[in-house]
Amino acid sequence: MARPVSKICAGDIMKDWFLLLRWSWRDLRKYWVKVIAIALVIGIGTGAYAGLTSTANWRRDSNVASVELLNMFDVRFELAGESSVDKGELATAALGIAHADSLDGVQERLVRPTQVDASSGADTLLVPGSMIGVDIADGGPAINGWHVETGSALAPSDAGEPVVLLDYGFIFHNDLPPSGSVTVSGGEDVAYAGGALTPEYFMVVPENTSTFAQGTYAGVFTSLETAQRLTGMEGAVNDLIVTVADDGDRDVVAAEIESAIGDLGVGVEVMMKEEDPSYRILFEDVENDQEMFSIFAFLIFAGAVMGAFNLITRLSEAQRREIGISMALGISPRKIALRPLLVGAQIAFLGVVFGVLVGVLLGQLMRSVLVSFLPLPVWITHFQWSLFAWVAVIGFVIPFFAAAYPVWRAVRVKPIEAIRTGHLASRGGGLAPLLKRIPLPGDTFAQLPFRNLLRAPRRAVLTTLGIAAVIAVLVGFLGSIDSFVGAIDRGGNAIKGDSPNRLVVTLEGVLPTDDPGVVAIGDATSVGETIPILQIGAKASGVEDVDLLIEILDLDNDLWHPAISGDKMQGDGLILAEAAAEDLGVVVGQSVSVTHPVRTGPTTFGFVESDIVVAGLHDNPLRFAAYMDVSALESVNAVGLANVMYANPAPGFTPGDVQRELFELDAVSSAQKASAAADELDDLMAQFVGILQGVAFFVLLLAVLMAFNSASISFEERQREHATMFAYGVRVRKALRMAVVENTIIGIAATAIGFGGGLWMVWWVVNVTAKETMPNIGLTVELSPATLVTLVVLGILAVAIAPLFTVRRMRRMDLPGTLRVME
Amino acid sequence: MIELRKVSKQFGDGVPIVALADVDLHVDAGEFVVVLGPSGSGKTTLLNMIGALDGPTGGSIVVDSVDISKAGRKDLFDFRRTSVSFIFQSFNIFPGLTASENVQFGADVAGRDEIDPVSVLESVGLGERVDQFPHELSGGEQQRVAIARALATGNPVMLADEPTGELDFETGVQILELLQKQAAEGRAVLVVTHNREISRVADRVVELSSGRIVSDGPPADGKARLEDLRW
Repeated sequence: MARPVSKICAGDIMKDWFLLLRWSWRDLRKYWVKVIAIALVIGIGTGAYAGLTSTANWRRDSNVASVELLNMFDVRFELAGESSVDKGELATAALGIAHADSLDGVQERLVRPTQVDASSGADTLLVPGSMIGVDIADGGPAINGWHVETGSALAPSDAGEPVVLLDYGFIFHNDLPPSGSVTVSGGEDVAYAGGALTPEYFMVVPENTSTFAQGTYAGVFTSLETAQRLTGMEGAVNDLIVTVADDGDRDVVAAEIESAIGDLGVGVEVMMKEEDPSYRILFEDVENDQEMFSIFAFLIFAGAVMGAFNLITRLSEAQRREIGISMALGISPRKIALRPLLVGAQIAFLGVVFGVLVGVLLGQLMRSVLVSFLPLPVWITHFQWSLFAWVAVIGFVIPFFAAAYPVWRAVRVKPIEAIRTGHLASRGGGLAPLLKRIPLPGDTFAQLPFRNLLRAPRRAVLTTLGIAAVIAVLVGFLGSIDSFVGAIDRGGNAIKGDSPNRLVVTLEGVLPTDDPGVVAIGDATSVGETIPILQIGAKASGVEDVDLLIEILDLDNDLWHPAISGDKMQGDGLILAEAAAEDLGVVVGQSVSVTHPVRTGPTTFGFVESDIVVAGLHDNPLRFAAYMDVSALESVNAVGLANVMYANPAPGFTPGDVQRELFELDAVSSAQKASAAADELDDLMAQFVGILQGVAFFVLLLAVLMAFNSASISFEERQREHATMFAYGVRVRKALRMAVVENTIIGIAATAIGFGGGLWMVWWVVNVTAKETMPNIGLTVELSPATLVTLVVLGILAVAIAPLFTVRRMRRMDLPGTLRVME
Repeated sequence: MIELRKVSKQFGDGVPIVALADVDLHVDAGEFVVVLGPSGSGKTTLLNMIGALDGPTGGSIVVDSVDISKAGRKDLFDFRRTSVSFIFQSFNIFPGLTASENVQFGADVAGRDEIDPVSVLESVGLGERVDQFPHELSGGEQQRVAIARALATGNPVMLADEPTGELDFETGVQILELLQKQAAEGRAVLVVTHNREISRVADRVVELSSGRIVSDGPPADGKARLEDLRW
């Protein structure tokens, strides 16, 4: 009995599909090495994007949650210079403004520089820091709360007691015990009950320094009473932070409070939450990293797509006769296309599977690194379903369409063209005729690699671009690191000058240079030469506003002075960093408007605006670093005053000896090697060397995979040519040498293009990303010799040797079989 | 020039397929020999073994004084470079090289710097086509390039596998004429074909069936002229 027609059709369709699936599966198995290689490359591209973007989303969510949890301030008011007022005055001023009802919370603080000695045994750990005292009657600050990560919290009963919390980052980076004791400025031992996280210290960015000082700058959090006692400022506060209601106008509130504090007769600096260095870097870093991740992943993915395109083109070519026969049998082109398309779909699917695995692995790796290096009170690291789903779709669709194009072309040829064998099937020489009139040196063996490349220009270009994309990633990555390291080195050299052990001794405020405390510094046994400095924060206005840390010193001193770059000094005036001059839009000899403090009373400073001539530029990449001669002290009403000393260790003494001796002096707030920041960054970079090597290996693998695929495809396409050569007695090594030359040409072209692309990426990182994240560091594009060597090894050598992977197949080639008509 | 003694060749591990069995053959320099037989008779296998593309499972093969049945891999490469030249049914000339460059390849392989590829191409009637790429040439022209390439090596043995198989009659005759000429100049020329008509112009016809030589001698009706061929 006949079956219903519809059932027959359905059954036939199922059978067709199963046949096609089986057939395409056999195609995959035939090319399994290349298939795995392409799928891996797709997987690495999509996985890198998914994994790295996951971390960006985690960081965004975790930053927001952490800031909310600890109720970070909306506006901060910091009294200028050494100014302070009595406790309650700042809060009263704030609560007395017209829009006081817009305020959610008000918190007075005492924030003072300090020095922390956390040395144990022979290990000296003596660093500058900040002591932040707040009211802890309710167990801790209501604004900018403390999240105790290790040890225990402070109790209200600790108010006034020598008990503090340390910044958890400082504890973590220096492997300190969860609780213990340290010595702070003034020589008083205090117990630290634990380590706490607070928004201003999520990223430790001390004022007017570069970034990332977790290990070399100590946040000390304690009660207001304890801070007042330890800093000798009984009853005083110098800092106010407020939160503003959602419906309040922060700008209005900020302006009114600034005015109200000004009425107290002290200068004040206003900072919005977004201007806080920790907050700004925390969030901007994520966005900048995300942009970089996207570009890196895009390039890797683009390389993968080009590789997939090459492979599917080869598969379609291999099936040319079968396609022609199918056409001759009357099968529709659409149906014929299904089999190679299924192969493309399966490769894309396999790539997506690899991509998910790579993404998850990379995400987990990055998660552990992030949580370790960037401790936050809240880490939200959910699996990013939507992100992975989106990446999976893109990872599938793009390679699939890359596969569809050559299939579409293959089914558009006339059946007779597809079926042809022998010389009738021979195709044009591509662009090889272009070389006909260009005499190349050497015999035909030397000519063949060039001709072969030009015979298949599309594949050569795609392979070159694919490898170039990967190389661009590597150059971009390593070049960015080189530029950072170069800036650190230049900064270190500029700071060290002829006095590599120079110490910066921060005084307990602005003191007369003949003050006994200051004199005692020069008299210390371990101290050699000293010079007094007045260090003032200022803001220069120009094309961009630039914060400056102006050091006023005797520029003719023998201990240290900034090295002037380019033109020599032109009279008296301001010596700016090259980056600052560029951002301000000024050159030597022009004036710049600078808002700077002027002493208005014994301990109070106000701000004035002055036009100051730019007398020279120095070579330190730190943008904020600026210098003036001691003659400028008159203009700030501070003749004979200093708040910093430069000191060289006396012969036979080390910087550590000086630190320990000066720590005992009342006039000293901190003593730190001038190159400490650069040294810390150097150490930080050293920690990443292993990761960099891993990344370099990873990228190397990608380039080799692509080069291998290209070499493998070339080998298969030219099997008959190789067999003919072998039949004529050409040795395998000679055939290999030609393939190596061919790949070397690709490698050189890919390296040149990749180098250009990578250089652009470094430029982008230096001039766009880093300028936003680290405006205080004047980076320039630099590439180290090691990077260039890596580039040559990766781009040329690794690509060149890829054909060696085909040596086994060459040796085992079935010459008689291959020499006969072969498809 | 070519000496085969009790040469046999089997394929497969399980039930072996006998391609050649106890073949004895002697070819002198200057002989134009056609190996004739139906598909599967073993004629191409025979040619491959004389050209050292494949090795026998028994017997000995000496070509140009080289015992290739005992030679090592390196010696076989050297042998192919210095003793034999191949002409294939599907030509196998290099598509990335022009006609003259393909011929130059043959000279380069043999290390014959003195060869002028243009004059070799002229000798096969392609003096006007020296700068053409293979895809710009007809089938007959491509096969002539392949012959010129073989000539450029200067090797004493020329092995041709169905050299007229993809060509029309007229072109095929031209190719046979070229091959005859090479034999006349002192080369041993061995042509494998299933086209019985071609065997009429040979000095000797060796007929194979199921891997065995079933006849060996001059053409049955005497050597014909090229003009008398028809297929």
